[in-house]
Amino acid sequence: MTARTADFDTIPVRDLTPEDLTGLSERMKLSLSGEDMLAIQAQFRDLARDPTDVELEVIAQTWSEHCKHRIFNADIRHQGPRGAERVDSLFKTFVRGVTEPIMEARPDFVLSAFHDNAGFIRLDDDTAICLKLETHNHPSAIEPYAGANTGLGGVIRDILGAGKGARPVASLDVFCFGRPDTPPEQVTGDLIHPLGVFRGVVRGVRDYGNRMGIPTVGGAIQFADGYLHNPLVFCGTAGTIPIADIPKKVEPGMLVVAVGGRTGRDGLHGATFSSAALDTDSHEEDKGAVQIGNPIEEKKVTDMVLQARAEGLIGFITDCGAGGFSSAAGEMLSELGGEIQLENCPLKEPGLRSWEIFLSESQERMVLAIRHEHWNRVRELARIYETEATVIGRATGDGRLRVVHHGQVVCDLDGGFLHEAPRKRLTSTYRPARAAPVALPDAGEAPALLRALLADVNLCSREPVIREYDHEVQGNTVNKPLAGPDGRCPQDGAVIRVDGTGRFMALGVSLLPSFGERDAYRMGLSTVDEAVRQVVAAGADPDQVALLDNFCAGDPTQPDELGKLVETARGMAEAARAYGTPFISGKDSFYNCYDTEQGTVNIPLTLLVSALARIDDPAWITPASLRGPGNLLVMLGATAAELGGSALARHLGQNAGTVPTLDPPTVREAYRRFHQAVRQGLVQSAHDLSEGGLAVAAAEAGFSLRAGVEIDLDAVPGARGLEALETLFSESNGRILFEVRPEDEAALREILDDSPWAVVGRTTEGEARLVFSRGGQTVLADSLSDLKDAWTCGLTPYY
Amino acid sequence: MRPHALLLKFPGTNCDAETARALQAAGFEARILPFPLADREQLAETDLVVLAGGFSYGDYIMAARLAQIEIETRLGDALHRFRDTGGHLLGICNGFQILMRLGLLPEGSLIENRQGRFVCRWVRLRNRAPSSPFLSRLPETFELPIAHAEGRFVAAEAEVQRYLADGRAALTYEEDVNGSLGAIAGLQDETGRVFGLMPHPERFLTALDHPDRPPGTGDGPGSGYAFFAGIHDHIQAGRAETAGEASR
Repeated sequence: MTARTADFDTIPVRDLTPEDLTGLSERMKLSLSGEDMLAIQAQFRDLARDPTDVELEVIAQTWSEHCKHRIFNADIRHQGPRGAERVDSLFKTFVRGVTEPIMEARPDFVLSAFHDNAGFIRLDDDTAICLKLETHNHPSAIEPYAGANTGLGGVIRDILGAGKGARPVASLDVFCFGRPDTPPEQVTGDLIHPLGVFRGVVRGVRDYGNRMGIPTVGGAIQFADGYLHNPLVFCGTAGTIPIADIPKKVEPGMLVVAVGGRTGRDGLHGATFSSAALDTDSHEEDKGAVQIGNPIEEKKVTDMVLQARAEGLIGFITDCGAGGFSSAAGEMLSELGGEIQLENCPLKEPGLRSWEIFLSESQERMVLAIRHEHWNRVRELARIYETEATVIGRATGDGRLRVVHHGQVVCDLDGGFLHEAPRKRLTSTYRPARAAPVALPDAGEAPALLRALLADVNLCSREPVIREYDHEVQGNTVNKPLAGPDGRCPQDGAVIRVDGTGRFMALGVSLLPSFGERDAYRMGLSTVDEAVRQVVAAGADPDQVALLDNFCAGDPTQPDELGKLVETARGMAEAARAYGTPFISGKDSFYNCYDTEQGTVNIPLTLLVSALARIDDPAWITPASLRGPGNLLVMLGATAAELGGSALARHLGQNAGTVPTLDPPTVREAYRRFHQAVRQGLVQSAHDLSEGGLAVAAAEAGFSLRAGVEIDLDAVPGARGLEALETLFSESNGRILFEVRPEDEAALREILDDSPWAVVGRTTEGEARLVFSRGGQTVLADSLSDLKDAWTCGLTPYY
Repeated sequence: MRPHALLLKFPGTNCDAETARALQAAGFEARILPFPLADREQLAETDLVVLAGGFSYGDYIMAARLAQIEIETRLGDALHRFRDTGGHLLGICNGFQILMRLGLLPEGSLIENRQGRFVCRWVRLRNRAPSSPFLSRLPETFELPIAHAEGRFVAAEAEVQRYLADGRAALTYEEDVNGSLGAIAGLQDETGRVFGLMPHPERFLTALDHPDRPPGTGDGPGSGYAFFAGIHDHIQAGRAETAGEASR
């Protein structure tokens, strides 16, 4: 028989030495620093008592990097190219600092940012849209399938817990893995080969997303050696909600109700586990930190919560993510105060200790606050949707969060102390890579280089992966990840119909870690530009774009690592500020590093920027594949000799070249004019120029095989003085290649005016060939059908 | 009064909202009914029972098996009786799998795709039963998307040939997409009132849904609309006939 008593310990800390305190943190896997432990000791000395293990676990989770973003709030002494400076919180300076002026200037655009599970922008008078991306890196390194499975499950719950319950309508997934052809002997110890991680992660996302009935509409896969030890798995979900249901409030007397799955021992210490480096023991020791997903449970909870929200039953809702009930109750009750009764929490198995119940990260659980009179209906809805709802506590209004287990108080912490984690002070340094030009091969190599790049694992078609995701469930995926006459041509941003509004949302993602290896600041600039460019090319209004920032970095206590982060964030903020694109949520993940005997291996600093944008009229939605012969090809934006970090430089094995920079005001204006052309119906198709530059973009646009492509490199804006290979493969920002009918050229000229643009070529009849010429000489000529085959089959050996 | 459609929703059914939307667009009054609320009386009041796509009960064990057991436990042979008394039944994707397991469609099985993977893509289909109320408004060939892991139709070879010959194999793929024998994508029963298909007509409600629409495409009707409009018109016409007979 299970003892019906609380199962907790009191941990003496008041008399411990600093060394003992650190030892205690390590023994309990709290991931708290010596300074943090001293602050805790001081607090309990003031209280004249020792903490319980529940309290220590709650503090550790609340103060964890995963939950509190202490690096992003740290006080940083930075030494960079501009000299010494102080960065008083990366978040305040480079994220919120971008958003707040935009929110003030345009109060009707961003409806909420940073304080809820996800930020919201207005879609129309009644409806808002939101987006959230999370990482699930360490779990996916250890258990790729389960890690990715629950990564997606977790971010879906973020959306379900945003406002009074947003409806999840689309998902994005971005992965970074080691190279799929990594020789097995490089995969030492318990590491899983990148192919194993790749396959497990894709299937984990597939099985959760497909079963939830949420279309996976976009994403990216990056393969690089730097992710061998620590893959990155970003899962994102977009949602919709009636604007009236965004504000949420707990009132004294409300019942706290747990809905969904039961609580078990799976997912203990997830928040603290993800806030420390992986090491050779992680694969064995930390398996308990990886949760187990059950998408059908989450589907039932989702159906029930959305119905409860529609019936006006929900006062407040949040998800059980990292930290489980502890973080959910903390979010809900820390200001108002309340009491949680652990004995009421439904368990998967008997015998859980008090802290295990409170901190477990078992999946598929939501916590609601509801008025007493709504309880019967909530219980009825749980029955109808075949899930479980249980009252586990209530809001009191006395400002204290108390946790009681079988009548014994096991946790009684002051909210003020809990949320006042000691501020970190860090130092960072940054020096950009030494300037060195890319040594270009002979221009005669152009055809071979293009074929090689199209087949490169980082550029080739993601078709085998995309086909396994249901990207059309819900019947609203208007711009699909692959389209065109055979449904196999690449697209830019995804476009989703927002049911019942007549409007659409566009989603785009960008990450350019190879830029960051040479110039972090320019990576920041470029990543924002690429994310915006994708949705603008798909038809979104550049003045209706919001962004998300997701940073993944290695050990932030290494000044060089942190320095890259500071410079990246600075570039990101500068571009976003100039574009008028606010950040509405974001997330950061540190300690993406692996302790080996040779030292710590950090991942390449990785910034993922996601764009969420509005499209008001279906006529704006623009395909990315050519529509037919006899049209003009127009290039927007200027090309420069910017091959640093490019697909070509990587293919040539050269860590050299200038990373693309950005002139934000010029590019922003160009995007606005392009959008005017879209609104006037002048743009037949448009494809953004990204990895592989003009050569790859022109080939991809031609994959509809409806027409040939002829481009005169001399006509490309900015190409004067460039080598042919630079014009073909440079990855300069702010460029879009688009197709217009000859009769529309005059109208286009009037709109684009003095923005950098030019008619660079035309679409041709007959066999679909891609031809680039320069000074009347052919530089590259190839069959589009053959190029498409090379692009289509790039992943075939690996998936 | 508009024809009535009842969508049974199991835990894991996830195409119910867009299927109800498509039914409504075609003129139905559509109601989504969570399965614990379903009973025989509700069946008596509807014209069309729809089993939408998704993963009923997770499709663990095998696709549609748990839904079959739940239906048989709770409703017995009510769906068979519903058909016998003139009711129409439609199963899309997972719903098709459920109708197969319940024995409401010609004998055979829907098993794992030959490629052993989930496949989401658009396919071209051949309308082999233009007299079917579900296909009456569709041309000889048309496109719809598929999204399934277990959609490969198998049956004894002689049966497959019979289905193809007598029109019970109402829809076939124009190319081999999952290894289905006879490239069968959809089946109807002898009465023509029960119809199941793997493709998703509710995902091609408007022209905008097509992956190769020209720029500037508005939201005119897609092939999926014609599918639902066909069955709507048939039921509507049947009612008018019944009403006519009664008044005679």
